[in-house]
Amino acid sequence: MRLIAKFAKDVENSFEIVTVFDTKTQKETIDKNTPIALSIAHKYPSALWYERKIFDDFGIVFTNSFDTRPLLHHERFPQDVHPLQKSFTAKTIEFTDFRPYKYKTVGGDGVFEVAVGPIHAGIIEPGHFQFSQDGERMLHLDIRHFYTHRGIEKMVQNKSLLDARAIVGRISGNESVAYQTAYMDIISQASNTALPVEIKSYHALLLEFERLIHHVSDIGFIPNDAGFSAALSFASKLAEDSRRIFKQLTGHRFGFDAVSFKIPNFNHQEFLNFLNELHKEIKWFETWIKGVPSLWDRFDTTGILTHTKAVKYDSVGVMARASGVALDRRDNDFYKQHGFKIALQTSGDVAARFSLRIMEIYNSIEMMKSLLQDIKPLHVKVPVKFNNGSYQTFIESSIGELFMSVDVSGGLIDRFFVRDPSHVNWQVVHAMMLKDIIADFPLINKSCDLSYAGNDL
Amino acid sequence: MINFIRKRIQTGILTEKIETNNKLDNIKKGIKTLVNKKFAGSLAIRMVDSGSCNACEAECNALSNPYYNLESLGIYFVASPRHADILLVSGVLTSNMYHHLLEAKEQVPSLKWIITLGDCPLMQSVFEKTYAIMAPVQDHIEVTHHIPGCPPQPDEIIKELLKFLKKI
Ligand code: SF4
Repeated sequence: MRLIAKFAKDVENSFEIVTVFDTKTQKETIDKNTPIALSIAHKYPSALWYERKIFDDFGIVFTNSFDTRPLLHHERFPQDVHPLQKSFTAKTIEFTDFRPYKYKTVGGDGVFEVAVGPIHAGIIEPGHFQFSQDGERMLHLDIRHFYTHRGIEKMVQNKSLLDARAIVGRISGNESVAYQTAYMDIISQASNTALPVEIKSYHALLLEFERLIHHVSDIGFIPNDAGFSAALSFASKLAEDSRRIFKQLTGHRFGFDAVSFKIPNFNHQEFLNFLNELHKEIKWFETWIKGVPSLWDRFDTTGILTHTKAVKYDSVGVMARASGVALDRRDNDFYKQHGFKIALQTSGDVAARFSLRIMEIYNSIEMMKSLLQDIKPLHVKVPVKFNNGSYQTFIESSIGELFMSVDVSGGLIDRFFVRDPSHVNWQVVHAMMLKDIIADFPLINKSCDLSYAGNDL
Repeated sequence: MINFIRKRIQTGILTEKIETNNKLDNIKKGIKTLVNKKFAGSLAIRMVDSGSCNACEAECNALSNPYYNLESLGIYFVASPRHADILLVSGVLTSNMYHHLLEAKEQVPSLKWIITLGDCPLMQSVFEKTYAIMAPVQDHIEVTHHIPGCPPQPDEIIKELLKFLKKI
């Protein structure tokens, strides 16, 4: 069984813990007076962050857990404050004295630690990496995140479904369309309205476009982190071209607020020409980059995520597929009829993740061409009535499987939960670099290209 | 390699080809002159994400692509606040980043300027106040200039940098 997510809710007189597996969903009622539960992290290591988050958010203690350090709440966050309890309504917190966070490290003669972050050397989101080093060799890495934690789940609580759309679309900028599409599915479930196929195809086109831009930037940034900056110049030109077209199409360079109830009028032929041109450029890029042996010398066997580890840590998305795990939420009839082919690699190293991205770029282009045929300008009514209930959805974002769950009560959001693919995948990163030296870390990290904002919420 | 050089020559210099060619070119000239005059030809920016959605960062990265080529104007994004003239702050300033931002600001040698990037730091984006958010940033540190937008586009960032350079 694959663990997909674990989260809690405050339901009047008790808490409820929901554990979502690929084959079933379990619910557990927790007494508010004795908020304790059992950890499943011994069997499912990726449960650890969910459970630590549930403690911070709700104060539920996992008695047999091997790691009970705070996750979202950093050194000065007041103890005994659990913001997702409904009784908590404050908009500010009082900082307390500094309580040091205990990083997991390896001890021993000559072993030393390297602390990196939260502010990094490049233009990149904040996060902390604590390395235990034996010379250049990495012995252990403890990753600590949630620096960009904005309290999204609390922010959207008690908002109407439609009012929260703009916020949900800005949780993680480079996955905006994925978040919007997931949320749109929740809206149509809650309003019991099926979107016409034209609109579905348009949303799918935008999602593939977002994936394409994400991958195209990455195939420049990954070689750049191996010291090959010419690739970045080339790919960042293509990424910029694509963003400009994305803006022509959606009115926004990142497609913010573009997933809606209408399809704008646009020139299909021009769009097709752009796709064909891009396909040619990527082909050229691929031939060129494959002929640079010194680059592959850095890529091959670096940062290996083994198939066993990928499965053990419930990894999803690009990282899982590059390690031979055939997991993709687009693996269904709708996408297959538009030419979806699952991309797989087996070596699980930087080279595999890099090559996988190129494979997916081609497939996205092919699917977009096919989706285009279903699309024509259209406008459907915005739903206004929403039924009480609990709605779930899955979307394959450019990083991997995105899971969203929204409870609606009286037309308002009672509980909003989203699990970014990064939240799962971050937890396996420490297990990918035990054969590598610390200088390889930026390259390995970039090849995964996980979101911090989506993880931190 | 031969292939690459051929492609390089065919592609030419893209930096000139920008649509807003003349206008942006003039702005770029203005920036170059002022960076030369006020910063001896090199202006160093340290970017700090204080709780953004990452689109503001992506647009800053885009400033280095061949179309905008910001470095040709003498403006660099540097790896440490200690090398910086400017601290460029994006995001809603989370309570988890608050002390780190103050620390980074301390590390920037004087004279120093703070510029806020995007609607978030001023609490003008769609995000609303929660227990985890401490923006507006100017309630906590002195801000010299603000670059609006969600996110501001690369060409808008360049225009705003010129305004900042004129202001100081
Ligand atoms: S201003 Fe907009 S783009 Fe920038 S971080 Fe905030 S939400 Fe994201």
